[in-house]
Amino acid sequence: MASQLVSISSTLLYVAFILYLVAMLPLATSIKSKSNKPAKIGVTMVIIGFIMQISYFILRWIAQGHAPVSNMYEFITMFAIMIVAGYLITYFYFKTNIFGLFALPISMLLMAYGSMFSREVEPLIPALQSSWLAIHVITVTLAYGILSMSAVAGLIYLLKAVPATEKSWRARFLEAIMAGIVTVIVFIGTTMIMENVVGYQDDFLYTDKQGQNQVAEYHLPSLINFEGAVAVEHTGDNNYEEAQHFHTGINLPPLIDSQKLNTVIWSVILGAIVYGIIRLILRRRIIAVLKPWSNKADLNLMDEIGYRSVIIGFPIFALGGIFFAAIWAQIAWSRFWGWDPKETWAFITFMFYTIFLHLRLNRGYEGEKSAWLAIIGFLLILFNLIAINLLVAGLHSYA
Amino acid sequence: MQPNEIKCESCGHVNPPGTQLCQSCGKMINSDYDKDKIKDLMRYDGSAVRSKVRSKSIFDKIWIFFTSVKVGVSIILAIAVAAAIGTIFPQEYFIPIGVDAAEYYQENYGSLGYLYYSLGFHNLYSSWWFLILNGLLALSIIAASIDRGVPLFKSLHKQRVKKHDSFFRRQRLYLAEDGQPDTDALVGAFSKKRYKVKQDDGNFLLEKGRLSRYGPYINHTGLIILLFGSMLRFFPGMYVDEIVHINEGETEELPTTDGQYYVKNEAFTLDTYDENANEVFDQALDSSNQVISNFQTDITFYENNSADIVGASPELEKVDDYSIRVNHPYRFDDYELYQSSYDNSQLKSMTFRLEDADGNTVGENFTVNLENPEESFEVNDDISVNMRAYSPDFQEIAENGTLVSATPVPRNPAFVFEVADGGESELSLLQIMNSTDITQDNDYSIRFVSAEEHMASVLTLKKDLTIPFIATGFVIFLIGLFIGSYVNHRRIWIRSEDGFMLAAHTNKNYFGMKKEINEVLESNGLGKVGDKLDDEDKDIDKE
Ligand code: HEM
Repeated sequence: MASQLVSISSTLLYVAFILYLVAMLPLATSIKSKSNKPAKIGVTMVIIGFIMQISYFILRWIAQGHAPVSNMYEFITMFAIMIVAGYLITYFYFKTNIFGLFALPISMLLMAYGSMFSREVEPLIPALQSSWLAIHVITVTLAYGILSMSAVAGLIYLLKAVPATEKSWRARFLEAIMAGIVTVIVFIGTTMIMENVVGYQDDFLYTDKQGQNQVAEYHLPSLINFEGAVAVEHTGDNNYEEAQHFHTGINLPPLIDSQKLNTVIWSVILGAIVYGIIRLILRRRIIAVLKPWSNKADLNLMDEIGYRSVIIGFPIFALGGIFFAAIWAQIAWSRFWGWDPKETWAFITFMFYTIFLHLRLNRGYEGEKSAWLAIIGFLLILFNLIAINLLVAGLHSYA
Repeated sequence: MQPNEIKCESCGHVNPPGTQLCQSCGKMINSDYDKDKIKDLMRYDGSAVRSKVRSKSIFDKIWIFFTSVKVGVSIILAIAVAAAIGTIFPQEYFIPIGVDAAEYYQENYGSLGYLYYSLGFHNLYSSWWFLILNGLLALSIIAASIDRGVPLFKSLHKQRVKKHDSFFRRQRLYLAEDGQPDTDALVGAFSKKRYKVKQDDGNFLLEKGRLSRYGPYINHTGLIILLFGSMLRFFPGMYVDEIVHINEGETEELPTTDGQYYVKNEAFTLDTYDENANEVFDQALDSSNQVISNFQTDITFYENNSADIVGASPELEKVDDYSIRVNHPYRFDDYELYQSSYDNSQLKSMTFRLEDADGNTVGENFTVNLENPEESFEVNDDISVNMRAYSPDFQEIAENGTLVSATPVPRNPAFVFEVADGGESELSLLQIMNSTDITQDNDYSIRFVSAEEHMASVLTLKKDLTIPFIATGFVIFLIGLFIGSYVNHRRIWIRSEDGFMLAAHTNKNYFGMKKEINEVLESNGLGKVGDKLDDEDKDIDKE
């Protein structure tokens, strides 16, 4: 029974993803169209998708008995859902058609990325058995979703405001962001294809930091490996035999997770190749191609949305990410603040948005400057959410 | 040289030095402001900000330094960057207890790690310079808030309804009509939207949400209380953080309570998820190792009735039973007891058997209680094993033949056993994994059979009297933050003498205000307000 609920909820999420993908079409048409119809169709599809995502959330909660915010898959999915929520709020307040065209792809990318982590339903360890888990994580992701809207507004602002052919740092930075997005897509694509379609798997036996033997499953040819790694093959029942696998011979000490680094290096190489091909086909910068989509945007409105999202999102972040977090930390770990890496980066995010507000209010950082800051803020949120969880095995690490 | 007071040419009001908009009629009387940084001249309602009034005393210079938002932002940035540096390598409190920090960083993170350690970054958040940065932050917040808050408060309190023409025209939202609209109906419609109305002949001032302007000052006050509260930890008696290690079945005095409270560990349990857990977990539980579902210590809490009598032996009276679990600490007085971890590394007892020369076991096994060992064990009717020496944490054999113990904790026990079967007695030295005959040609040998460990619960005893201060500070901060962000201060000036003029200002969310005003204007048959930002043709794409 409960297992069926889980699979229904996963299916809902999948359908929502497809729906968003399809909704991109009417949303794109709505920008150039004189009629209001495409926009209505697009937004209706997004609303249906959003309801499905909420149903995913509720069903999975019922099935596993705790809020689905306890591992990387659930957490990133939650963030993706909140971005859609942020988009819907922004849309209904400001009635701007162009917004969805840029907000939805970000949410979809996150959904795809989240689905790369283990989707298993897992029981909670004692520290997470608290109603503060749901309260804390839901408020934080809601705040992230709203804060992300400032980055979306900033991106649209910059696409319109920065001349695409300009030989300047700002144009190069903007193009670099596009190259980064291409790399992320390539990363998700190759990983999924190599793991699920091709089924590429090379196992390596190595010794980790604690001196324990571990097996690393490489789904991409090994460019970088662990010090003293031995190529092995699984012969069933946790038995391994020595084998021959491709390896460049470059080994790094166990302090660095070579397996993840290997994936990163592949993504960067393939991303650069794909980006190069795209440039050859387009014969201009990606931002030049996207520019026409942003030209209808009202710069003042984008600036206003950028500021408003921070004004609305920042207090929620302070409440959920700092205050609720501190209450829970006091109950679970006996100290409300302990400077562990996750807490520290939440603090840095808080301080960053504080800087954003002060520069804007007191030093005239509006328009382009504010747009850049909003994008940096979003990168900080991503870093906080993904890199810290993966790189640092602390109290907060889910993965 | 003090800068001069400014007399408004239009209405004659005398304004303090540095004022930009006449406090009385709102005419610009001083255009000497930095247009790049102050986009909205109405930020402080055009009133003089102390630091902007040039002055030369040392105090003024220091004041100006700390009121500067540039300086404030630099301090915040410095704190954020320092905080980030602190996450490059683990802080010292995350490395294993008891290891040498210098070695640890060198060994695990190479020379970069050693540099990190040498610079003191392994204890960054409690370093003197990090504390000083926070102190500077507090100074900056205080100075900046007083500097701007006082004039802002004054000017918001003595607003005049009647404003100069130029004041109208300068506002971002502005509307002028030639006709003579029904002003009363219009004002009535606004007051339905909860605007407070002030009238002076044909002039109106409609205002709501003024509280919003005080939001930043409320939130800064909260931050100051918080920063102050976090310094209180350094005062003795404010903060207790102790580890309490209690073996199952034993009772311990709680440290720092002057012998007043005792806790007995009735039982420690560690549960894992099993097949009976929710079926949806089957897959996860199959593929991973065991997942712990619960850490729990059942305690009996005692109060010592003879705590104030010096030298008296404790007279314990049971106060309470409780099951301490993660997320469910036990509270008493100002203290809390948390489930922190457990320790099953300490030996409780060891069981041995006696073996004869042919390798056959003789008689019954015997068990040595390591805390309080018996002297002699009857293996069977004829043979007994006597313990001649015992060291809980064996270090070496002293010259006089006794065993020297490094600590009283049974970590590495060693024994000298004598086997007496009526004949010649045999002596042997036993350590974990090792036995040495002391007498020659022994017939018997003693073999280790098994060991039993203590199950000790590790609890954290915590008292933190700074929490009420810090929590109060943060709650005030949040209240101020929400007020400043979610409430908008909206003002509308209307003049219906010699034509009709309307101007509007808000500190936040012009979009929302425009919508509100236009709705009202439209239903009163008036046109939309003009937005200066829309008019300024800022279109930059000239490709
Ligand atoms: C962690 C430290 C700080 C936090 C969290 C904080 C928070 C805030 C917030 C939320 C606002 C309102 C912003 C808006 O509505 O857009 C604000 C306004 C302001 N802050 Fe801070 N602040 C901090 C430190 C400082 C410092 C160090 C200064 C010193 C220069 C400063 C000066 C100001 C000023 C001048 C305002 C505008 C006040 C007004 O609009 O009347 N703040 N602050």
